[in-house]
Amino acid sequence: MNVVVSGLSHHTSPVELRERLHFDEKALPNALIQLRKQLDDAGVVILSTCNRVEVYAHAADTAEAPGRIRRFLSEWHGIPEDELAPTLYEYAGREAVGHLFRVASSLDSLVVGEQQILGQVHDAFLTAQSEQATDKIIGTLFQKAFSVAKDVRSKSSISAGKVSIGSVAVDLAVSIFMDLAGKTVMVIGSGKMGELTLKNLVSRGVEHVLLVNRSHEKAVRLAETIRGEAVPYESLQEALPRADIVIASTAAPQYILGPGQFLAALKRRSHAPMFAIDIAVPRNIDPAVKKMDDVYLYDVDDLQQVADANLEARRQEIDQCLRIVEAGVDQFWGWLQGLVAEPTIVSMTEELNAIRERELQKTLASLPELTEKQRDEVAYLTKRIVNTILQRPMRQLKREVVEEDPHKVLHLVKRLFGLKEAP
Amino acid sequence: MNVAVDIFFYLGLALFVLATGAALAYLRNGAARMLTTEAGLLAAGGVALLITFGLRWAMYGLLPLTNMGDSLNLFVILGTAIALFIAHSNNVRTLLCFYGPALAALYLFNAISGHTFLHEQPKPLNGVFLAVHVGLAFLAYSLFFVASLTSVAYVFQARNLKRLHTTGLFHKLPSLEQLDRSLFKLITYGYIFFAITFVLGFIWAHVDADELGARWWMSPKIMRALFMVILYSVAFHTRRLGWMRGQKLAYLVFVGFGLLLASYMALGLLQLEDFYFWSKAS
Repeated sequence: MNVVVSGLSHHTSPVELRERLHFDEKALPNALIQLRKQLDDAGVVILSTCNRVEVYAHAADTAEAPGRIRRFLSEWHGIPEDELAPTLYEYAGREAVGHLFRVASSLDSLVVGEQQILGQVHDAFLTAQSEQATDKIIGTLFQKAFSVAKDVRSKSSISAGKVSIGSVAVDLAVSIFMDLAGKTVMVIGSGKMGELTLKNLVSRGVEHVLLVNRSHEKAVRLAETIRGEAVPYESLQEALPRADIVIASTAAPQYILGPGQFLAALKRRSHAPMFAIDIAVPRNIDPAVKKMDDVYLYDVDDLQQVADANLEARRQEIDQCLRIVEAGVDQFWGWLQGLVAEPTIVSMTEELNAIRERELQKTLASLPELTEKQRDEVAYLTKRIVNTILQRPMRQLKREVVEEDPHKVLHLVKRLFGLKEAP
Repeated sequence: MNVAVDIFFYLGLALFVLATGAALAYLRNGAARMLTTEAGLLAAGGVALLITFGLRWAMYGLLPLTNMGDSLNLFVILGTAIALFIAHSNNVRTLLCFYGPALAALYLFNAISGHTFLHEQPKPLNGVFLAVHVGLAFLAYSLFFVASLTSVAYVFQARNLKRLHTTGLFHKLPSLEQLDRSLFKLITYGYIFFAITFVLGFIWAHVDADELGARWWMSPKIMRALFMVILYSVAFHTRRLGWMRGQKLAYLVFVGFGLLLASYMALGLLQLEDFYFWSKAS
């Protein structure tokens, strides 16, 4: 009995194939049932995201399980096995455990340290659990994966710093303003990037949106959809002091804002800081504004530079994270191997208790003068002796099966105590 | 009693040094519990120093405020209390990384340069009026000190933002707006207390004018106080009216306090903290 994983990811396959192999949320319960049938009722979890499709199983036969999973994926999606096989990776045992822990900790993600994957692994596990497709081993494996992922996040900076331009902009805004709620953002132009950045800011609490466009009708239309306020282009200078955050993304071939406009705005704002993002190419805001004390201006290259630096900083954390993952794998593996000794421990306990009971009855038969209470006390004493004697060998046995060849160790114990070999 | 004074003084120093260690550990690994540890150690160190202050007061029956060592002692006690209050009430605990080591450095400087003061009898202060004047002055100095450290944090964060150095301490420090508010709060209270103590001092000097001599107001000490009032008045009013804030204000507060500290040390070490400076010269 062991853990196996079979699947493909952005490392091994193109998006076209991943799309075809994706499990629809509604079809997932049925897929879990079919998969379990193929694997003789093994505990299973299917993880299907845009970057990976993986099947985790606690299979009786680790040699055959990957092949069965491959067959299942092929049949379910109608993709020939030959086409699938070169892109699939298959791990068993410690490797499979380590892979899951790395995936859950976002060390195997396209954007290392992104936080979405842990939620996706969690959802995949909950779906399998609600379909009663998991067992004790799979349950413990995934719980351990969540705890390792949490450790990785809290003990390293793997998730520190944003790595997309929109979120970098929000991050910078948060470093300038105490609270984005109540802040006013002015969007000049209607570029796609500007819209995305605005959405990011609104999701973080920005409440007032001023929309400025050369076509006032367009600004009015957009303002209606996001409950913003359309400002005529001619009133840009007048409205500028109201803006804490300025996003410029027009197609204008020249600068539309410069130090003069910002200086006038700052005076009217009592020098409260302003955050400006120039996403336009060519740029809309004169770079000379960057030298002003209370204006923090960034263009696309600046934001990309921060995103790249943050990504690099995350990459430098990977070694430390892998050490945390490895420690987690050791713990889980120890626990899993310890389970091999369980039937032997049960037999050993039963055997010694049978001896105890037999000898106890003999002794009690020769002591008829004992009261009921005294007989109970003697029985209790023998139980305590047996349990105390067993405690140390049981603990040692669990350790030995992890560190040594479990078959040899268990065979020796069975011979020592005269236990029957398991069928 | 002298032994007890020594024990509490050096225990406080050890706690401040440990607090600095916790601050450095936080900067290195970012573990939030290090900040909690630092806050605890600073608080304990502050209490130890307060006990030193209390023991010296009890030993001689005189407020220990009149020599440089005692002054710095009170300065560290008040600075610690203000730093902890600001860090907790404004939810800017990361600032303890700036406050803690600076307070520890000041404490260490006091221990090295003036530890003998611990066993010297303080000079008497002429009445409650003067004690209040001196006490309020130290409270204001401590507020300016913490404000100057906050201004360092502001400049550090603003420069990081300008240069796009967005790793390391950048993510741990509060926003510019939050730093600006903390800075303004500290300047406001410092300025109010200093203005009160300035007026109190002026009244007292007039009452005791005969004792101080005719040209007491020209002494370096008074000139420094006047300079401080003007400087912090400019800082407070320009910020309140919105004429100046951000890095310019931070630089003003920092440089202003630097000058104050330098003149305090210089006058103290050269023993020019005297109202009769010009009288003697003439």
